[in-house]
Amino acid sequence: MESPEVSTLINIAGVKKSYGATCVLKRVSVQIKAGEVIAILGASGSGKSTFLRLLNRLEKHEEGSIVIDGVEVSDKPSNLALLRREVGMVFQSFNLFPHLSVLDNLCLAPMKVRGLSRAEAVSLANDLLQKVGMGDHSHKYPHALSGGQQQRVAIARALAMEPRILLFDEPTSALDPEMVNEVLDVMKRLAATGITMLIVTHEMGFASQVADRVIFFDQGEIAEDLPPSQFFGDNKTPRVKAFLGRVLQTGI
Amino acid sequence: MSSSVKVCVPPSRGLKINNSLLKGLLATAITLAILFAMEAILHFFPNPIGPNSKELAAAVWVTVKLTVMAGFFGVAIGTIIALGKASTLPPLRWVCSFYVWVARGTPLLLQILFVFFALPVLLPSLEFNDFTSAAVALAFNIGAYNAEAIRSGLQSVPKGQIEAAHALGLSSLTIFINVVMPQALRICLPPLVNNGVSLLKDSSLAYAIGVVELSNAASRIQSATFEPVPVLVTSALIYLTLTTGLTQVTNALERYLSVERR
Repeated sequence: MESPEVSTLINIAGVKKSYGATCVLKRVSVQIKAGEVIAILGASGSGKSTFLRLLNRLEKHEEGSIVIDGVEVSDKPSNLALLRREVGMVFQSFNLFPHLSVLDNLCLAPMKVRGLSRAEAVSLANDLLQKVGMGDHSHKYPHALSGGQQQRVAIARALAMEPRILLFDEPTSALDPEMVNEVLDVMKRLAATGITMLIVTHEMGFASQVADRVIFFDQGEIAEDLPPSQFFGDNKTPRVKAFLGRVLQTGI
Repeated sequence: MSSSVKVCVPPSRGLKINNSLLKGLLATAITLAILFAMEAILHFFPNPIGPNSKELAAAVWVTVKLTVMAGFFGVAIGTIIALGKASTLPPLRWVCSFYVWVARGTPLLLQILFVFFALPVLLPSLEFNDFTSAAVALAFNIGAYNAEAIRSGLQSVPKGQIEAAHALGLSSLTIFINVVMPQALRICLPPLVNNGVSLLKDSSLAYAIGVVELSNAASRIQSATFEPVPVLVTSALIYLTLTTGLTQVTNALERYLSVERR
């Protein structure tokens, strides 16, 4: 994955973000290549979720620049439309539309944004639902599904826009333990397809197996940016050691 | 882990026919049938209703028209004001709050009298006949109450829904129409129905400026016949029929919009 021929897809340079007087991100710079799977780790409040939400403009950065596939992340409507088209997102709380069936949850954006016909959108949606193992549930409403099922539908909904980049904001944190694996399995299969993924997670086992890189946030800064073998390996820095110690102790 | 093989039939985009929808249509049909047959039904009533059935039935239609017109514009005003109050522009919020403050803080009777008598003095171009004046005042009044109902519905839609829609690249207009509105409607429908029932009854205040709606007609007939009991009881029964019809129709609509009870 570290081959130099692969071009930089996401370029983040000197990005700063604060809420009022509290600085959540202090001059973060990082490059991400196409096809990379990045696990973003860190204690709560370290800025990792904010970092993720800057990438599709759910939060706005105050300084620095974010360029995704040549498009500057800004409020310019044409940029924003391109950006949201390229970058999909999966949320901790699923955020499926409760008044729409599973199928209509998947069809809405492709029809309204990509201009697909109803028939095209339905066939795309059914394909994606098969891929996440939800092919039998297309007619159901979200309230009739388990958390794990809802999250798999949410992943399919994001994929229906055919994004190049998928952001995951703690996708398994709201799930009962027995449902975590069904979602992680879908994400593992997805990682193998070559789509670029940025995953904020507390699943250390998953991060070490699937990620190409681990980015570790501490107090609004990127404290480590390492391959998982090194991050989870023997020569940990004290900060990482302390974090992993806490995480493994509390059993998150 | 279901192993059953199901054929996925994509649901149609239009109305989904189900029990709630059928009940709603039935309630609408019965209410309309009673309305259209009102004169014929009242005709069979004993004295003093029978001989005055024509006047009463005509007055019922005035009440219904007043309610429907004021109700329609009241919802439109309510939606605009609710959006205005949620605006990021402070002056717009102030104007909308001022309107709600005035409309809810003064008596409806005074508002009706004001539109009919005072408005033409202030602005001669705004001189309306008695029916239009009553409709304008009722819409003005109910709009403020509707605004609060609609605002609470809009606020009840979780922020995550709007974020998810933005993340999918949907435009703000699409988000409002396809994501926010359907969810808000379920929350604001019950208070809107309450407001509608109040409106139907409050339309009787149009009596004060001479509109011959149901209460006015009943009052005229009882004073001409000196039989207040049958006349007033009959008009009360007609009001009850109308409010029951209205709540039945909207109850069915509410069930139809509720995904969980489908």
